Amino acid sequence: MSATPDVDYSRITLLETIRRQGKEWDTLAPRYGVTNPNPPWKTSLVGMCDCLATGGSLPALDRRKAEDELGNAVYSEVPAPERELLALVHTMLSRGLVTEGELAARMRTVRSRLEVV
Amino acid sequence: MSTGHTHDDHDHDHGHEHPAAPMVDEITDYEILEIAVRELAIEHGLFTAEDHRRFTEWAESVGPINGSRLVAKAWTDPAFKALVLEDGVKACKEGLGLDWAEPTGFGTPSDYTNFVVLENTPTLHHIIVCTLCSCYPRPILGMSPEWYRTTNYRRRLVRWPREVLAEFGLIVPPEVEIRVEDSNQKCRFMVLPVRPEGTENWTEEQLTAIVTRDCMIGVALPRPGRTADVHPIHKARRPVESSQRAAE
Repeated sequence: MSATPDVDYSRITLLETIRRQGKEWDTLAPRYGVTNPNPPWKTSLVGMCDCLATGGSLPALDRRKAEDELGNAVYSEVPAPERELLALVHTMLSRGLVTEGELAARMRTVRSRLEVV
Repeated sequence: MSTGHTHDDHDHDHGHEHPAAPMVDEITDYEILEIAVRELAIEHGLFTAEDHRRFTEWAESVGPINGSRLVAKAWTDPAFKALVLEDGVKACKEGLGLDWAEPTGFGTPSDYTNFVVLENTPTLHHIIVCTLCSCYPRPILGMSPEWYRTTNYRRRLVRWPREVLAEFGLIVPPEVEIRVEDSNQKCRFMVLPVRPEGTENWTEEQLTAIVTRDCMIGVALPRPGRTADVHPIHKARRPVESSQRAAE
């Protein structure tokens, strides 16, 4: 199978930092006694994928092909919902839809916003 | 007028406490990442917040219960069964109030409004797959299970259907023909299983409970007492090859 156009399979520092933390739902949920099979952001991720396809910036078939290949080549040890998220963001970064710098900055902003007591 | 209520306006006595459901008491970077990339996508004009809300609400609303109801109704109503087999989209709308055109008026970008229900018989068994990606009848079955998306299932099912079904615990006798239906960008499929023995005089509600998601994919058969799908996920021994593998 050939590689998907516009997807760079090199590891991305920001995403590797997240992956190495090992905070996937299937390990986190049991720790807190939570029985939901999916993390709270799962359906939002589904909605985002549908939006990107509808708008034409990332067609569903391109996204799924990249997800398959990134899932095997880069994120094979990451469980499903997190692997889908990492593959989607990886693909968006590769296509220049967002940049790693602005994403890192926005993550800091979002975290500080959510942690306000 | 709102039909909802809050705990403050309860006027009846439950006679019991409401223990809070356990929650994950930390915010992971995965959660932050999903929010951050979505906000940037909206700011960059890739989609709107309203679009996202609409698609997410739709994703929350779909699930295999609709398929279970469709099957149970088809088992008990011959005229409805005929409609199901003739026009799956129309049957969903008339029998369940489920509109494949939601949430946009023309479906979603991943759910084309052409839906075919495949009828099993005592001598014919159907299974659905998407060898290309993971096409799945989301409006009626909800989100696909993880194993359905794996290359292991997608590649091996079309080559060795009996063996793959056996891994799900379903042994199909040799005299029963197996047909694997490959979903595609133009059409979605679902299996109408054979109504099992021992369910005579059952209500639609009782029947609905035994028609699990896997029965409608074709990797399980409905039977009295079986109301849940449980099975392992197998990884491919030889994963997809890429010419641009990342260096370790």
